[in-house]
Amino acid sequence: MSQNNRTQQVDDNHVNSSQVDDHQEKRSHQNSQSRHQDRQELYDPTINLESNTCPNREQRAHGINVWYGQASQLIKEAKEGKLHACDRKFQQTSGCVLNFYLAVRLNTIRDAAIIFHAPVGCSSSALGYRELFRSIPVALGRPANYDLHWITTNIKENDVVYGAGNKLKFAIQEAERRYSPKAIFILTSCTSGVIGEDIEGAVNELQPYIKARIVPVHCEGSRSRLVQTGYDAFWHGVLKYLVKKPEKKQEDLINVASMLSYTWQDRLEITRLLGKIGLRPNFIPEFATVQQFEELSEAAVTAPLCPTYTDYLSKGLEQNYGVPYFLYPSPMGIANTDEWLRKIAEYTGKEKEVEVLIEEEHKKWLPKLEAIRKEFLNFKGNGEKIRIMGSLGQGRLLAHVPYFDEIGASSPAAMAQDFDNLILEEIEDVVNKVGDFKILVNTFQAAEQGHLTRLLDPDIALTCPFQGGAYKRNKGMTRIHALRSDGLPRSTQSGYAGAIAFANFLLQSLKSQSFQRTMLAKTDDTYKEWWYKQENPLYYLDKEEA
Amino acid sequence: MAKIRNIAIYGKGGIGKSTTSSNISAALSEEGYKIMQIGCDPKSDSTNTLRGGRFVPTVLDRLRSGKRVETEEIVHEGFNGILCVETGGPEPGVGCAGRGIITAIELLKQKKIIEEYSPDIIIYDVLGDVVCGGFAMPIREGVADQIYTVSSSDFMSLYASNNLFKGIKKYANSGGALFSGVIGNSINLPIHEEIIQDFAANTKATIAGFVPRSLTVAKAELQGKTTIEADPDSEQAELYRQLAKGIIDNENRYVPNPLGTDELKAWAESWYDRLLEHNTSRSQNPQGQAAVKNDLSYYSLKPDNANVRVR
Repeated sequence: MSQNNRTQQVDDNHVNSSQVDDHQEKRSHQNSQSRHQDRQELYDPTINLESNTCPNREQRAHGINVWYGQASQLIKEAKEGKLHACDRKFQQTSGCVLNFYLAVRLNTIRDAAIIFHAPVGCSSSALGYRELFRSIPVALGRPANYDLHWITTNIKENDVVYGAGNKLKFAIQEAERRYSPKAIFILTSCTSGVIGEDIEGAVNELQPYIKARIVPVHCEGSRSRLVQTGYDAFWHGVLKYLVKKPEKKQEDLINVASMLSYTWQDRLEITRLLGKIGLRPNFIPEFATVQQFEELSEAAVTAPLCPTYTDYLSKGLEQNYGVPYFLYPSPMGIANTDEWLRKIAEYTGKEKEVEVLIEEEHKKWLPKLEAIRKEFLNFKGNGEKIRIMGSLGQGRLLAHVPYFDEIGASSPAAMAQDFDNLILEEIEDVVNKVGDFKILVNTFQAAEQGHLTRLLDPDIALTCPFQGGAYKRNKGMTRIHALRSDGLPRSTQSGYAGAIAFANFLLQSLKSQSFQRTMLAKTDDTYKEWWYKQENPLYYLDKEEA
Repeated sequence: MAKIRNIAIYGKGGIGKSTTSSNISAALSEEGYKIMQIGCDPKSDSTNTLRGGRFVPTVLDRLRSGKRVETEEIVHEGFNGILCVETGGPEPGVGCAGRGIITAIELLKQKKIIEEYSPDIIIYDVLGDVVCGGFAMPIREGVADQIYTVSSSDFMSLYASNNLFKGIKKYANSGGALFSGVIGNSINLPIHEEIIQDFAANTKATIAGFVPRSLTVAKAELQGKTTIEADPDSEQAELYRQLAKGIIDNENRYVPNPLGTDELKAWAESWYDRLLEHNTSRSQNPQGQAAVKNDLSYYSLKPDNANVRVR
């Protein structure tokens, strides 16, 4: 795609044109290697900490919210710059930039407080936090004291008309008084965005009088239809306000940003593996301390659990503090975990130790994998593979599709909440490895997922607890992942223990039909037959906008 | 209770809509009508000339205080018993003025203030680019039923009127207010009238009247009064009375036909040529034309303005 084309396209997406010029100017000064340039065409690799926040995913990486077809075609269209976000004529409820992720995760930062600059309802999803995490035993490392440090400015009618700046300032002072935190996060909302609240003005005015570091996070829901923009906005605030210049290098420290869908056992498994080669994970954000954020700049490398989640942080740390990073693979599945550990070893000089570790682990786990693989391969008894279709998301799309291959199953299709060019090269690698498959890009649209599940009729359907929910069917049916608050070993998915635990979990879902029997007997149909008879799962897509 | 006439007067900021509205209110009050004038502009100075140049406490100020709002705190009697209300709004640069207008009008409804005072005519004086939903509030269902726009021949002012037409068209099918005419203001020369007339013809709108620029108005305003009050026998006061009478008699309500962006630009450019022609022919006739500058800016319709940038 030529530079001109790109400009045109970005303009179409209503980007301030001077901003585009600015970016292009920066780009022109950059490294001229062709691969690097190609990447620049696909997404904006620079992290500009001088601005108040990140661009949204739509602008930064041509993120889209809906698409259906072959992965190879998606890759082709992405490269040609043909992808764009679309509206639906009918849409089920969806997540928002503030609430999908930030409202739930930031509470867990132990010595921080969080202020929602929003009408009171916007912060409601934060309140389940204690209940969510209570089931993890303290013995497993969950902090005994994890009170909710939560304040909302409760923006009302008068505040909308007159501005809510004073309320925000009061809330900051109140957060300091109540919790004496080390950091105060301000989460913005659609309302504060629409009335143009001067968040940075309030922060700059109060910071000299406040001991805690104040971190504004621009997560106005109306900014973007992709919840991933919330990740970037959060990391932007962290990079700009919280990360300190490195005082020393901590050669054994590995930054690992982990999201909601990785469980407590994943955390333990990763800690175990890194510990065996003398390394320590710096897990952020949940249950981290503010100091852990400050020290992100001192780590040896930033390693991914999910590339689309960690991308902005990884690039920001590299560009500002020289912390190297890699984004692929995630440590899910045996081969991916080997590769993940080897990559970390490259940056920490642990090449030898890692090979010893891998050998040890293989001895323990490969026989188990082989047994499970056999069961999967022989399950149908006719030589056909078990077909698994999962509501994976961008991160798991890259990790799980090869993983299903590894355990002897196949993946006719995968679903993701969104798609952007950040994972384009990686998804191409996956297609090269395991062959082509179908992708449904679909932000929280359970009806479309139900439709595609009926259409492709996989042996196991994996639904996302956030977007799919359970629906009744005769064949295998379970959830794609647990939440962080699930402390059970069987819910692990990461590392070697996770590869085996998850494979077992999938196998169980094939063998045990009690869930399906109950669902079939006890629940009504969610959708009418009419819906399933429509040819296209994207029946409600508004084609006119294209 | 007889049906109340609800009239909204829109116009670009500074074009003279508050002056015009207040003089219309004053003229109608002389005719024995009970008038309420509601200023819908965060500047809150719509009714100043009805109250000796003084600001009145606004609806939103009262609301903001958090105390129970008493009607006498937001409805203030002015010249000749005219009921003056200002919606008010945030200070410049913060909050949302449009939402302020919505909130204030909702409060007037909730408090049943209009029923309580039962005026014959309500004049809404609204800041006029209709930049957002808040400023369209008086157009929407259940508020005004007739809309006027005050405009000079200045292109940007007509542009604002065209935007108003777009707003009216948008809400017309859902019970919104309809248009009743353009009030031409700041008229110095016949060509100013011609420009406004031509704009009206192109947008299928009618003219409600023309008000010339006059020193009498400025003098009255400096005293904090309307022309009707300060100089009741002046020619200008009589003009306002005629305009007010025309508005009361005018039952004509319709949806105007706003021009598209390109059409508006083409229309403005057509005037550039005509003004040039006009100017040249006047320059060639020296009799009585000494004051005419050989400069298009004299006619307000500047070619610079004609090149309006539209996103």
